Amino acid sequence: MAMPFDKELDVRGAKCPVPVVKARQAVNELQVGQVLRVLATDPGSVNDFKGWAQVAKIVELVAQETETMDGQTVYVHYVKRIG
Amino acid sequence: MTIAEKTTITASDLKRMLDNGDDFALLDVRNDDEFARWCIEGRHKSLTVHIPYFVFAEDPDSAVAEFERQIPKDKFVVAVCAKGDSSAWVAEEFLRPRGYRIANLEGGMVAWGSYYDAHDVPESADDIVRIVQLERTARGCLHYIVNYGIDKAIVIDPPRHFEHVLQIAQERGWRITHIFDTHAHSDHISGGPQLSKVTGAPYYLHPYDAIHPIDVLPANIEFEWLSDGMTFRLGEAMLKVIHIPGHTLGNIAYLLEGKRRYLFTGDSIFIVSIARPDLGGRGETWSPIWYETLTKKLLTLPDDVLVLPGHFSKHSEARADGVFAATLGQLKQTNDDLRKTMNSSKEEFVAWILSSLPEFPPQYVDIKRVNAGLLQPDEEKANELELGKNICALSSAYK
Repeated sequence: MAMPFDKELDVRGAKCPVPVVKARQAVNELQVGQVLRVLATDPGSVNDFKGWAQVAKIVELVAQETETMDGQTVYVHYVKRIG
Repeated sequence: MTIAEKTTITASDLKRMLDNGDDFALLDVRNDDEFARWCIEGRHKSLTVHIPYFVFAEDPDSAVAEFERQIPKDKFVVAVCAKGDSSAWVAEEFLRPRGYRIANLEGGMVAWGSYYDAHDVPESADDIVRIVQLERTARGCLHYIVNYGIDKAIVIDPPRHFEHVLQIAQERGWRITHIFDTHAHSDHISGGPQLSKVTGAPYYLHPYDAIHPIDVLPANIEFEWLSDGMTFRLGEAMLKVIHIPGHTLGNIAYLLEGKRRYLFTGDSIFIVSIARPDLGGRGETWSPIWYETLTKKLLTLPDDVLVLPGHFSKHSEARADGVFAATLGQLKQTNDDLRKTMNSSKEEFVAWILSSLPEFPPQYVDIKRVNAGLLQPDEEKANELELGKNICALSSAYK
């Protein structure tokens, strides 16, 4: 289920609030229409990315997936800059 | 340093502030789902404001404006999140630099959910047994250490964190001789089998509760069998086992006879409300049994027994001394659901119960699997299973 993306942010191992805070900064580096793929291991990131996307003005959460990488559960978030 | 000057506070500090009714506000920065499911409550109502941390990440100015709109500038604020890092970030990055007196709850809701408080039960102060009531504050779970003889003690319903139990026993010079569960719990993970391994004291459970009611699989734990009418001599005192099926099939109450009588009701009669009979997935079959138990085995006990329950739903149920206890006679006057049981026929009771059941928390099936030794969660999974308040009572407090 590989989705296309333009940039990647690897925050595996980082705890809340780091994944959302770093993703928010990384979105500033995107062009409108580009997608950021975020790799996180914090299970809380799933609901937090949803919540963030609801309040964010220039961000759309395109997809969320759960994958196993190197024997670890990884929560993958696809975030698109829309404005 | 006073609490109001601190930049971090512990769950223990927070409990004292809530008990004292201190003037402060809580800022909860978790997401909407987590906040809706479970938040910090105390005996007194405190101002709670919910602004998720990602609102601060997205638009700090509007998040701070929202904070200022809801919280008076001079108020001391405690910031809370799931594990303590996001709330620390919000406090340090955005609020303390703007002059707010704000402290972070160390360890967040995980620490709050694992915080235990202890109260000596004053009725037993001059008895041949001495009872300590332990509460897991955030979850509304109660457990007990009962000292007998000079230096011995039993433990009733220990939770999976039992360091505080061992610490109290050690401080007071008590050796744990028996560990009793009132039943196979649905809402929290029992510490019984593990405490038994650590202390060498036998762990007791009714065998009917050693079968998972939904999986219909036998438990994979070591325990000693309880049966109705069994007695344990505890020094000069006597502990009697009363089989009270209905909440579970192997549900037990323990009647302790010292100079006075105490009834550890587990999940049956609470201070407010009664236990629900549907957590084994068979409410229709178990409700009539529950009626028989309540009316014939519990309500027939003497009015002067002191009821010491397994749960509370609100902190306001505690007496002024902090203990959750009342005589059976008092509860026959004050406990509405118990009164309704007394005044109902079996048919009325069953119809009422089945139409009044609170939600069935889906994780309760897994918690019972853990307690039967059929599932071994790691610490993170165990914390997740035990999130939130117990929903073991029929009480409208949960609806």
